[in-house]
Amino acid sequence: MNQNTRSLLALTKASLKMYYRNKGAIVFSLLIPIALLSIFGFLSRGRGTSIQIGLTNHSTGEVSKQFVEKLKGVKAFNIKDITEEEAASELGKGNLDLQVIVPENFGAMESDKLVASTIQTRFNKAKPQSGQIANLAIVEIVSNLDRQLTHSPSTLDVKSEGVTTNNLGYFDFILPGILSMTIMQLGIFGVAFGFVAMKSSGALRRLQATPVHPIYFVFAQAFVRMLITLANALILVTLGTYFFGFHMVGSYFSFAFVCIVAILIFLGFGFAIAGWAKDETQVAPVANLIQLPMLLLSGIFFPRDGFPTWLKTITDYFPLTYVSHSLRKIANEGMSLVQLPVDLIGMSVWLVIVYVVAVRVFKWE
Amino acid sequence: MSAILEVVNLTKTYDNNVHAVKGISFSVNKGEVFGILGPNGAGKTTTLEMIEGLRPITSGDVILDGIKTAEQPYLVKQRIGIQLQSSAFFQNLKLTELLEMFADLYGSTINSLDLLADVGLKDKAHFLVKNLSGGQKQRFSIATTLVNHPVIVFLDEPTTGLDPQARRNLWDLINQIKSRGTTVIITTHYMEEAKFLCDRVAIMDDGKIVALDSPDQLIRQLLGRGFKAHTEVPPATLDDVFIDLTGKTLRD
Repeated sequence: MNQNTRSLLALTKASLKMYYRNKGAIVFSLLIPIALLSIFGFLSRGRGTSIQIGLTNHSTGEVSKQFVEKLKGVKAFNIKDITEEEAASELGKGNLDLQVIVPENFGAMESDKLVASTIQTRFNKAKPQSGQIANLAIVEIVSNLDRQLTHSPSTLDVKSEGVTTNNLGYFDFILPGILSMTIMQLGIFGVAFGFVAMKSSGALRRLQATPVHPIYFVFAQAFVRMLITLANALILVTLGTYFFGFHMVGSYFSFAFVCIVAILIFLGFGFAIAGWAKDETQVAPVANLIQLPMLLLSGIFFPRDGFPTWLKTITDYFPLTYVSHSLRKIANEGMSLVQLPVDLIGMSVWLVIVYVVAVRVFKWE
Repeated sequence: MSAILEVVNLTKTYDNNVHAVKGISFSVNKGEVFGILGPNGAGKTTTLEMIEGLRPITSGDVILDGIKTAEQPYLVKQRIGIQLQSSAFFQNLKLTELLEMFADLYGSTINSLDLLADVGLKDKAHFLVKNLSGGQKQRFSIATTLVNHPVIVFLDEPTTGLDPQARRNLWDLINQIKSRGTTVIITTHYMEEAKFLCDRVAIMDDGKIVALDSPDQLIRQLLGRGFKAHTEVPPATLDDVFIDLTGKTLRD
C-alpha cells in the first residue's frame, strides 16, 4: 500500500473511532433536528388543507339537493351540516372558514317561474383567503344551476382541468429546511469546535512531528464528517417519510447530490473558522455570526416571500438559501438538477469562496 | 565516533527582529545522550524545533543522518522521534490504537503491547490518555516517539512536573533507549538529571551556546578556575532522603 494511502486510512480510522466514542455528541447532533421534525410533523398531521364549511339547508327542494351534492363533490371542501347558530359560533372560533345558509325558497317554483332567492354566506374577516375561495366556488355552482334552470345558453365559460397535485403539506416544506439546517450546523459548529480543540490542545502539533502532512488529517476529518452528516440526513428523511408522510416527488439521487454539495460548503466554513481561530473562545462568536442570519433568513422554516425586497435580495445569495431552495424544488416539485441552474451556480461559487478563504486563513498552530 | 547530527551556524530570527538563536554550532555523536541546558527563553526549544524540521530555519545548516533538514524535512521526520514539551493526543483513543496510528503514519510495523511493556504501561493498554497520571503520560509520549525505530529521539523537558519517583523511572527508560544504540537529545532544567543522563551537555543562554562538554569535564573546568561552592556539599541530598523514605517504586 502507498504510504500516503496508509496514512490517510490510519487517520480516517482514528477520526471515526474518536467520533463514535463521543456518544454525547452523536445524540445531541440528532436530538434537535429530530425534535423539530417531530414538532412540525405532529403539528401538520391531521390538519388537512381542506376548507371547512358549515352548511345549513332550510330548503327541501330538488334544486337545493343538487346544490348540496355539487358542494359536497368539491374535494377541497369539508362540509358539516349544522344549524345557523352553531355555524355562527364555530365561525367565530375560527373552526369554520365559511358559513353557508340555503334559504327555504331556494329553487322553488311559483306558477312555472323560479322564485328569486339568495344563498347567504359568511366568512371570517380575520382569515379571508379560504372563505373567499370557497365563496367563489359557491358562486360558480349557483350560477351553473341558475343557467340550467333558466335554460339560458352559456356564452362565456371557463374550462378548467384538474391536474395531479402532489398533495403537499407544511411538513413537506419543512423537512428540506430542517435537513439544510442540520447540514449547516454539523458542518460549521461540529467541525469548527472539534477541529479547533485538537489544535488548541496540541494534538495537531504532535501530528506535525510525524512525516505526514497534516492536510491528510483535514481530509480524513472531512471524510468522516461527510459520512456522519449523510447518515444524519438519511435518518431524518427516513423518519420523515415513515412517521410523518414526507413526499419525495423528485429523485433521491438529485436530493443526495445537493446534500453532498451542501455538506462540502459547510465543512469548508467549519474548517475556515477552525483554521483561523486559536481556540474555542474565538470559534463561538464567529460561528454564530455566520450561522444565525442563515438560520433565520434563508427561508428554512417559513417562506421568504414576506421579506422586504432588499432583504429578500440579500438573502437570495445565502448559501443556505440555495441549499434549502434546491432541496425543496427537488423534493416538493420533482425538479431535476438541470432545472436549478441558479442554485447550482450559487452553491458552486460558495464552494470556491469558502475553500479559498479557508486556505488563506488557515493556521496550524 | 561518528556524528549523527551536525548543526552549523544555526540562526533563528523572528519577524519582529527577535534573535532567538544566534548562530550556534555543535555536533552530536551516534549513541550518546546529549543534553541542552539553559534558562527559560535561552532558545532550547527553538533550536530543537529547527533541527526536527518543525520550524523554518533562518540561516545555517542542520544535517541529520546525512540529510539536510531544511531541504527534506519529511525525510528527517521519518527517521527521528519527537516528544514535544506539551504533548497532547487525540481524545477517545486507547493507547494501543494511538501507537498503531502513529506507526501507520511512519509506515512502520510495531507490536503495540510490546512497546507499551517497554515503557511500563502494558496494563494500561486499553486506557485513554486522559486517564493516565503525569508520569504515565510522559512514558506514553516517549513510546509514541519509538514507533518508527528512530535514529535520534528528541525529548523536550520530559521530566518537568513529575514527582521524584516518576522522574527516576523516566531516567531508567531513557538509559534503556540509549542502551539500544538510539541517540537521545534532551532538554532539561534539572542539573542532577543532566549529570545523571547526559554524556555531553550544551549550555545555552540568550540564543548562544556558552559551554559544551561532558558534565564531569565542565565541573572540573569550573573548579580549575578556582571556584568553590558556598556551602559544604553533603554526601547526600534532600532528594536522596526523599527517595530513601518513600521508595523508588512508582506511585502512579
